[in-house]
Amino acid sequence: MNLIDGFRTIAPSIPYIINGIWVTLEIALFASIIGFVVGTILSLCKIGRNKLLNGFARGYTSIFRGTPLIMQLALAYFAIPQLLGINTVNAFIVAVITFGLNSGAYMSEIIRSGINAVDKGQFEAASALGVRYWPMMKDIILPQAIKNILPAMMNEFITLTKESAIVSTISVTDMMRRSQIVSAQYYTYFPPMFIAFILYWLVVMILTFLGGRLERRLARSD
Amino acid sequence: MIKAEHIYKNFGNVQVLKDVSLEVKNSEVVVIIGPSGSGKSTFLRCINLLEKPAKGTVRIDEQEMTALRKSQIIKVREKVGMVFQHFHLFPHKTVLENLTYAPMKVKGLSREQAEERARKLLNQVGLSEKANQYPSKLSGGQKQRVAIARALAMEPEYMLFDEPTSALDPEMVKEVLEVIQSLAESGMTMIIVTHEMGFAKQVADKVVFMDDGRILETAAPDQFFSAPKTERAKEFLEKIL
Repeated sequence: MNLIDGFRTIAPSIPYIINGIWVTLEIALFASIIGFVVGTILSLCKIGRNKLLNGFARGYTSIFRGTPLIMQLALAYFAIPQLLGINTVNAFIVAVITFGLNSGAYMSEIIRSGINAVDKGQFEAASALGVRYWPMMKDIILPQAIKNILPAMMNEFITLTKESAIVSTISVTDMMRRSQIVSAQYYTYFPPMFIAFILYWLVVMILTFLGGRLERRLARSD
Repeated sequence: MIKAEHIYKNFGNVQVLKDVSLEVKNSEVVVIIGPSGSGKSTFLRCINLLEKPAKGTVRIDEQEMTALRKSQIIKVREKVGMVFQHFHLFPHKTVLENLTYAPMKVKGLSREQAEERARKLLNQVGLSEKANQYPSKLSGGQKQRVAIARALAMEPEYMLFDEPTSALDPEMVKEVLEVIQSLAESGMTMIIVTHEMGFAKQVADKVVFMDDGRILETAAPDQFFSAPKTERAKEFLEKIL
């Protein structure tokens, strides 16, 4: 009975928690767009022959994969603005950028493996036709690479959706943060957190399902 | 004119080409034959610099390929079409797009011009009705004919064929060879690496026999196939004919 009462008490705040999912999804979406762009550029730096760009891309990946995301977030939100003397920082934007840059490091590895998996003959056929490096990458190699790695990129997006819960630590009112706010407001923890918990799971299940369908559709066009 | 002089090439410690020289005059068809691993394909790929020779020079017309910078090499490649053993069609593009891509991108043709040329070529190789198919829907022989048409769409002056029928089922070899044959008759300058001896005899102006990274014999086809000069060529012909 106690539990049901708990849910009844927080009922007016349930929509508030649920709508937090849009904040969560927005962060995941924008971050994955940034991540894709950054990841593509980094992956091209990695497979190219320019030593400087190689080093830069490897260093970048090493830093972002070698430190905790929550640490990067704290650095970007609390430490760097103070260092630069900026007083007001938009937590949402900081979250999107940090997640995007972080995701770019992981994405670059995915894209690199996708490019490496493209038949070497495709590079040769394109260069034998006189196609230059950048058009070849853009029109011939990347489209094939991305098709191969779409499932992996979908996974990255799902991971982002889940991991974005830690933006609650820099006061972005995503679903996680909202469940904490409601918990504190009513001094009752289980109902709000359970709602957020279930909703995260549902969203991830839906995304997984969509990813599976996408994968099957791609397999069919082969 | 294609002129390769004293080409050396190694992959690590393995010497693949040892002092290979060859001259191909305009409208000449040169067929390179020899056992697997003799360096035929590597030599062919050195001509348009898909492989960079360790030593030696390649001249295409008056341009010395081996002395050019990378961006200039790409420019010269426009006039050297290449057909590969495994076709290497662009799988995410339709047959028509495979043919129009490079002419539009590299030569700056408009879509209309490129498509007109592409349809003409598809008609020439007998695949007009496949224009809007994806390569995965084609048979091996059809793929190779599209690959030839794709190379021709750049209006090359020279064509290099790297074992164009080796990956095909036997019943599809003929349709591809016929296309190459008619190309030869049209006066195209070609270098063909092949294991099809009957075809070599028929199409070649000059047969080049390679073994162990060297050219052992260069002769007119009649002469080569009836009376090879070297012991090695005799052995090779006995084994395969």
